[in-house]
Amino acid sequence: MRKQALSGILGVLAAFAIGALVLALQGFNPVATYGALLQYSLFSGSGFTATLTRAVPLILTGLSASIAFASGPVNLGQPGQLVMGALGATLVGLFVHLPSVFLVPLCILASLLGGALWSGLAALLKRAFAMDEFIVTLMLNFIADYFALWVITYPLFDPSASTPMTRPISTAAWLPDLGGVNTSVLFMVLAAVVCWLIMSRGRSGYEWRMTGQNSLFARIGGCKVDANYVRVMLVTGALAGLAGGLMIMGGPHRFVKGLGANYAWDGIMIAVVASNGISGTFLYGLLFSALQQGAIGMELVTAVPSEFIDVLQAVIVLVVVAGRVSLNMVFDRLATRRKLKENTR
Amino acid sequence: MARDVLIDLQHITKVFPPDTVALSDVSVSFEAGEIHALVGENGAGKSTLMKVFYGLERRDAGDIFFRGAKVEFRTPREAIAAGIGMVHQEILLIPEYTVWQNIVLGAEPVRAFGIIDVDRAREVVRQKIEEFQFNLDPDALVGDISVAARQKVEILKLLYRNVSVLVLDEPTAVLTPQEIPQLFAELARLRDKGHTIIFISHRLDEVLTLSDRVTVMRRGKIVGTSAASELTKEDLARQMVGREVLFTSRRQPQEPGEIVFHAQGLNCSDTEHRARLHDATVEVRAGEIVGVAGVEGNGQFELVNAIMGLAPMTSGTLEVKGKDITHADILTRRTLIAFVPQDREKMGASVAASILEDAIMTHHILDPRFRTWRGLGLNYRHAAEFVDQIRDQFTVSMGHSSDPFNSLSGGNQQKVILGRELLLETPFVLMDQPTRGLDVGSIEYVHQLLLDLRSKKRAVLLVSADLDELFMVADRIVVMCQGEVVADLATDATSREEIGYYMLGGKEVAHAETGS
Repeated sequence: MRKQALSGILGVLAAFAIGALVLALQGFNPVATYGALLQYSLFSGSGFTATLTRAVPLILTGLSASIAFASGPVNLGQPGQLVMGALGATLVGLFVHLPSVFLVPLCILASLLGGALWSGLAALLKRAFAMDEFIVTLMLNFIADYFALWVITYPLFDPSASTPMTRPISTAAWLPDLGGVNTSVLFMVLAAVVCWLIMSRGRSGYEWRMTGQNSLFARIGGCKVDANYVRVMLVTGALAGLAGGLMIMGGPHRFVKGLGANYAWDGIMIAVVASNGISGTFLYGLLFSALQQGAIGMELVTAVPSEFIDVLQAVIVLVVVAGRVSLNMVFDRLATRRKLKENTR
Repeated sequence: MARDVLIDLQHITKVFPPDTVALSDVSVSFEAGEIHALVGENGAGKSTLMKVFYGLERRDAGDIFFRGAKVEFRTPREAIAAGIGMVHQEILLIPEYTVWQNIVLGAEPVRAFGIIDVDRAREVVRQKIEEFQFNLDPDALVGDISVAARQKVEILKLLYRNVSVLVLDEPTAVLTPQEIPQLFAELARLRDKGHTIIFISHRLDEVLTLSDRVTVMRRGKIVGTSAASELTKEDLARQMVGREVLFTSRRQPQEPGEIVFHAQGLNCSDTEHRARLHDATVEVRAGEIVGVAGVEGNGQFELVNAIMGLAPMTSGTLEVKGKDITHADILTRRTLIAFVPQDREKMGASVAASILEDAIMTHHILDPRFRTWRGLGLNYRHAAEFVDQIRDQFTVSMGHSSDPFNSLSGGNQQKVILGRELLLETPFVLMDQPTRGLDVGSIEYVHQLLLDLRSKKRAVLLVSADLDELFMVADRIVVMCQGEVVADLATDATSREEIGYYMLGGKEVAHAETGS
């Protein structure tokens, strides 16, 4: 755990150093660029709240991928599950008319179900026909994408709009801002806490982790690995669905074409960097969100294009993941040298 | 008689990261034309030392001299070119190729344009077989010949490459008692022709029969080298373990109780519909240890899988304590069966998990004390106490319960698994090779544990490839051959030779009726 934190911090710092080198080579001032990045993501009121809001889908899809990968199923369907969750929340928000107290939970529930439906479909195909969820979830992403596009282009098209989008959902389903922070952040934090409890304190989390590490061991130990597989798929689908629902309810309040296009893939990336840990996913989610948010400001004040952030993110992923292994090797080599010295003494 | 020093290993040190000292300042020399046994418990460093010599492992310090010159083999290929060959524990041949094809593979005699000279290759192999009197058919498919014959092919493969030094890593581990003398005769013949043989083993009788000199290793260090003729089995064991070891059974006479485990007419087939288990019937009574002997791959694996519910049976019934578990799910079986699998890393535990996580498996479902929050939560405090209980009761030497499982030595890993399974307090215990890969001290511990279970009136089924082990602890031995139970013999009324006879497919079925 402490080693993980150390390799993470060292990795991120090293990545920033490499990024600075890239900037300097292109003739930009790294200090000013990073200054603007931080200014617009963390050290201004509006920037910070925007970073938090942006972190909602990143962290939720990250948690979805982390829990799935740690438990065995290779669920790569976060993008599709997010879209289906968003669609679920949109449908309820458009057609159900209830006061906020009821409508908000109902929309949340619809988004969870939307995501779980989509991952559940993949789980069903695995159980019935032994189709690998790895490829099925990946393909379902396309189906979800175009299905949603059809829905917002034809049946739910807002005639007053020029591009495919739905009408706004009922204002009773809108998540308000509290002190500048959108309340979707609260739901995200709540979900993250629940995830941590399940994985680190729960009986199911223990079984899921053991199954992910060695499913034969778990099976022979009496765990119902098949039922657990379905549960993990449903839970991780629901998490990605929740990300979509919260994006609708906290953001544009309607399903707009291209919604969440990149967030879900970022979630998978975050899970990989965090090596499927819950708290790691949370922290890296915040970091990536800060980078993406800061990129907007950086582009405003400096001449550095916002694409630089894509480069920086990629460098972070590579350096942290590679660093984790090599740091262990360094530790090993140090330990070996120590032992050798003890021996020759 | 004094021979010339051929191989001299000086001050070899090898550390496996992070802090396992596999070899600590090891110096040993091997003489030309001798059979030199390298003995020690598992983990003593015998194989590692030879792998360092052979270029399979890097060393961290020390020098290697061969024929008086300092050498450095970076790969086995370089070692073979210098005239040194090693036969590993696992046999690595191509089953679809014939004997001669396997032997020449990688060093084929060629004609012009690189075309393999088939006739010459066959002829050279045939000559080698004759020269060393190996009794092999050069045209037989390797997939069709016995394990012992395959081992000969491995050795011939090296002789074909004209090595003068042969390193054999536990060559008898895969052989039946009948096949061992033949191997020994062949090795002795090789020595008489001037070859040097380094023979890694932990079977003391063999070492004393075969070798000229013996070097004992313990915990990565050399204990000493002596002439085999000056040693007794007890001396060797003491040097290996560092204390006296008992070789005789401490099995007290005891009347077995009622039938606890009863498997009747088990049949199962593999994916190609070949029968893997054929009408296998086994029963175990309370306070009885029944051993399952057999050459590996004769249905033991399938028997274990059938009992645990891991593979479907085509017919047959299973009963534990009068309860029919033929169609029960694994969890139901686990309430009645404690199971120690043969492969710790694949079945026994998750090596990536912590000691605690591996120690509480199954208990976390069956024991309500592991639950909190109405069964949703796992009671980690109780789990930690449970690990302490295993540690104390089964003398596990370990750090904190949150340390990774693979920070434990093999023996301690096995103790954690044994502790976990035996604390399930089930009437029936199934152990599949529980001492495989353990050192002598841990093996002794496991045997004592088995005998304790026996006196506690548990029923134990022990699958083992080690006949010594079966003769030491088992009351009865059933022998499996090609999926059938071909013999069921009371240990006190049989011999290793008789068991070996049935293992190799002796057909007459002998039943030592045990009162049923």
